[in-house]
Amino acid sequence: MKFTYSTFMRTVFGAATAAVLSTAATPIMADSASDLETWMKANAIGTHAMMEENWSDIVAKATAEGEVVIYSSSGRIAKLKDHFEALYPGITLTLFDLGSVKTIEKTIREQDAGIYQVDVVTTGNSGSVIKELLEKGRIFNYVPAHMRDRIPAENRDPLLYRVNEAIVFFYNTEANPDGAPIKNVWELTMPDLKGKVGIKNPMSSGSSLMGLAALVQNPDEMAAAYKRLTGEDIVLSEGVPDAGFEFVKRLLANDVVIFKSGSKLADAAGKAGQTDPLIAMTNMTYIARNDAKGNVNAIMTDVDPFSKMVYPTYMSIAANAPHPNAAKVMIAYLLGNPEMNLDSKIEKPYTKGAAFDMLWGLAPYYDAGSVSPRADVPLPAGGEIWGEMKGTTITAEFMWKQGPKLRDFWLINSSN
Amino acid sequence: MVSTPDAGGKPNPWSGRNIAYQAYRLKNKPELIIGVMCLAFLAFVVLVPLFQILRDAFTFQSYDLSYNPEGEVGAFTLFHFDRVFFQPISKALFVKPLINSLSMGVAVTTIGIIVGSGLAWLMVRTNVYFKEVFGAMLVFPYMMPSWVMALAWLSLFRNDRIGGSEGVMTSVFGVQAPNWIAYGFVPIVITLSLHYYAYAYLLISGALATVDSELEEAGATAGMGKWKRIRVITMPLLLPALGSAVVLTFIRILGTFGTPALLGLPVRFFTFSTQIYASINARNQGDAYVLALVLIILAITFIWINSRIIGVRKSYVTMTGKGFRKKESDLGKMRWPATIFVILFLCLTVVMPLTLLLWESMTLIPGDYSWNNLSGYFWYGSGNVDLAYGEPGVIHNKGILGALGNSIKLGFLAALFNGALGLLVGYAVVRGRGGKLSKALEGIAFAPYIFPSIALGAIYIGMFSSSIGPIPALYGTFTILVLITVIKNLPFTSRTGIAAMLQIHQSLEETARVQGIGWFRRMLRIIIPLSMSGLVAGMLLTFITAMRELSLIILLLSPGNMVLTGVIFGYQEQDMAQHSAAVTLMLVLIIITISVIVKVMARGAGTGRLNTT
Repeated sequence: MKFTYSTFMRTVFGAATAAVLSTAATPIMADSASDLETWMKANAIGTHAMMEENWSDIVAKATAEGEVVIYSSSGRIAKLKDHFEALYPGITLTLFDLGSVKTIEKTIREQDAGIYQVDVVTTGNSGSVIKELLEKGRIFNYVPAHMRDRIPAENRDPLLYRVNEAIVFFYNTEANPDGAPIKNVWELTMPDLKGKVGIKNPMSSGSSLMGLAALVQNPDEMAAAYKRLTGEDIVLSEGVPDAGFEFVKRLLANDVVIFKSGSKLADAAGKAGQTDPLIAMTNMTYIARNDAKGNVNAIMTDVDPFSKMVYPTYMSIAANAPHPNAAKVMIAYLLGNPEMNLDSKIEKPYTKGAAFDMLWGLAPYYDAGSVSPRADVPLPAGGEIWGEMKGTTITAEFMWKQGPKLRDFWLINSSN
Repeated sequence: MVSTPDAGGKPNPWSGRNIAYQAYRLKNKPELIIGVMCLAFLAFVVLVPLFQILRDAFTFQSYDLSYNPEGEVGAFTLFHFDRVFFQPISKALFVKPLINSLSMGVAVTTIGIIVGSGLAWLMVRTNVYFKEVFGAMLVFPYMMPSWVMALAWLSLFRNDRIGGSEGVMTSVFGVQAPNWIAYGFVPIVITLSLHYYAYAYLLISGALATVDSELEEAGATAGMGKWKRIRVITMPLLLPALGSAVVLTFIRILGTFGTPALLGLPVRFFTFSTQIYASINARNQGDAYVLALVLIILAITFIWINSRIIGVRKSYVTMTGKGFRKKESDLGKMRWPATIFVILFLCLTVVMPLTLLLWESMTLIPGDYSWNNLSGYFWYGSGNVDLAYGEPGVIHNKGILGALGNSIKLGFLAALFNGALGLLVGYAVVRGRGGKLSKALEGIAFAPYIFPSIALGAIYIGMFSSSIGPIPALYGTFTILVLITVIKNLPFTSRTGIAAMLQIHQSLEETARVQGIGWFRRMLRIIIPLSMSGLVAGMLLTFITAMRELSLIILLLSPGNMVLTGVIFGYQEQDMAQHSAAVTLMLVLIIITISVIVKVMARGAGTGRLNTT
């Protein structure tokens, strides 16, 4: 064989191309299926989950594992570190505060690369969590057996909620002393409120998109509400499939103001001393800024057809988690102290002393506008109205199938 | 392989003598060896991500199942291209953002270049007062995260469109700023120009400093007027730096996210970067990567145009080893007005945003700017449950202090590696100018610039999450932060490397070679000292960008390698305004302090060397 310059160059380039291709291609998952099966069986997770558990045995194993790694869409979870480590000496809490998109992205990319370093994954963004993580076997539902009966089935099946939150409508009480300025969502699309409604950008905020989608997923109720307001049947614009999408189109046509940050939107609507303030469609938890920032916001509790658009945040054990028992202990901890019941007196500050010892992992989230999946946890002060408000919960199915189309629709109609 | 003579009598290319001969030839072409090595390294860290972007753009993603439930994830498809370019959504997703981004880029670049080169001329070539101090302060705006300026703008001109507290203008004059002043194209261009003029300022002042005044005097002797001298002599000499400044500013503007998001969103002014970010955020890689590819093509076109302009005339050598003089022109009556202009400019771009940050960090209740609301709690408080969720003040905060150490480490390491790499690339490109290798290297060294930062981060997670040959899994380590920062900043340092090399005449090196001085010593004693001013400027910029970079590394951060910008991001997410302002201010002050120290030291060293030549 003759080894000339050109063959040499060809070999070099061939090798380079091969190197590029091999690193770029998805790594081969050797025996991952059987490994996963072994892991599930050894740790009683997934298909091997048990209805009865020896909890003290799990805690002992967790302590032996020594660490629990969490990927979280929320930074507030960091406040649990000291409390958790004091309650379970020997287990170190390592937290990655990633936001919802990166939590999902990181979990998928690592697992595809054969890296298993996370134990607990907790994030919102229904569609991806259920369809891309749970249904693809990247995470597993785990409900501690001793907590099962306290959690309504819809809050733990197919995947356990960590917390329920909602997008609601805020109004400025100073400018509207007689109560909520609107009774029907369609009023937001009327000329009186042109340029006077604020929304957190659904293109960049998962919760805002889910809140909007929760309205859109109920076209019949939306159409009925329109008729109750105007006495007429709604006439859909050309190319718009139903009353849900029609609402989005009209909202944008009414010059809705898009905010980058939900908290700034809450402040904008709720700042005292305004004569013509915005109505804000934002996260209910920002009502807490009435205390922190002196806002004068109130939540509309009686809007036709819905006053709250609920979006859940999930928690789960990651596939092949290196510390599966510690993950179980952490999930139980995030559900709050089992001794808590509806009569428990829980007083501020929630992340200190007695309140913390009762709320456990719920403490940083124990705010008006966040609700535990447990049926036996009292609603936090200021959030008691949760039960009075008629709501709709965004489904994973709708988010997965219609979410992208809703984004496209928003994009096309919001472009000037 | 056995070394047998060929039947045709041709010398065997693998014979010992030939190898020795080829090795000898190579030894005299060090740029070839360096070029090949740089090319191989860059191909790996740049082409692999590019390949992944291409792959994702052309394959069916799980996100697309919403549009076509029958689709098979991973199969080849032209769906994304069809969608972005030919479907009705194209207008909103592609056409308008493109027009917005391009017009923004043109406007900011024009203003930035004019302001930057004007200031560079004032600082280098005139006798304006307080030059030393001003020269250092003029790069301060660049050291702040670019959105600081946007926030300052908002607090000045906020009107009732986004409600809430009044802007300063409304509360002082009782007038609402019209929307076009408060949001959208105009304020974005102004705030970005006040940030990005620094590129032009740094590059052009560096180049101006190396232009020999004797050349201009020669022009004067030959009877040229002032403007003709500028047009015929000075401008062509500055052209490489000017070209680099234009290209860098323009492409950077295309990719900038924070400011358009803050100032554009309220009036629905969308840009390419906000669209890419939104798509990545929705995990819609298909759209994001097709848009990213458009950015890449735009950038390549730009580089091509730039290289055409500069490539046509090759000799821009200003460092010749002959006499060198720098003359300042006397501003005369304009000396004080020019000084006052610079002072006002600095007040606007430096003093005001920093004051706002300091003020913000010292408000007990955020948003209340009255005197009796001032407090130092967020600087030295030890953690009170009722304030900011019990987070301790800056000096007691272990998280902040740890991140501070990491940030400084990252800045220094990135600058060091970047400087070295930039110098080598510049050397190989300039000495091999005209060759294929040189062109390929120049192109590839520029390529990282056009990757949207956040996309590059996402790809690096996948790329380095397991070991590749001899490279261990870098994921979650500090090394990967350094690597990605070096790669992302390479376009800049390689441009400065090239610009610096272009000005050093080969004869200087040849003289040393004739005397039998080896390559390493030539680099050490001739090339590095002569290119020092440009190189230090480039390294300083890397240091600054590394310290204040966020979108690039946000996906790669973990508690073990947390840096200050990550901490700031966290505080912003939780809306802890005072902490975020305090840490931002601290970050800016540290960057400024270190840069000033470096500059003073570099100048000392630089003049020392210059005297010996």
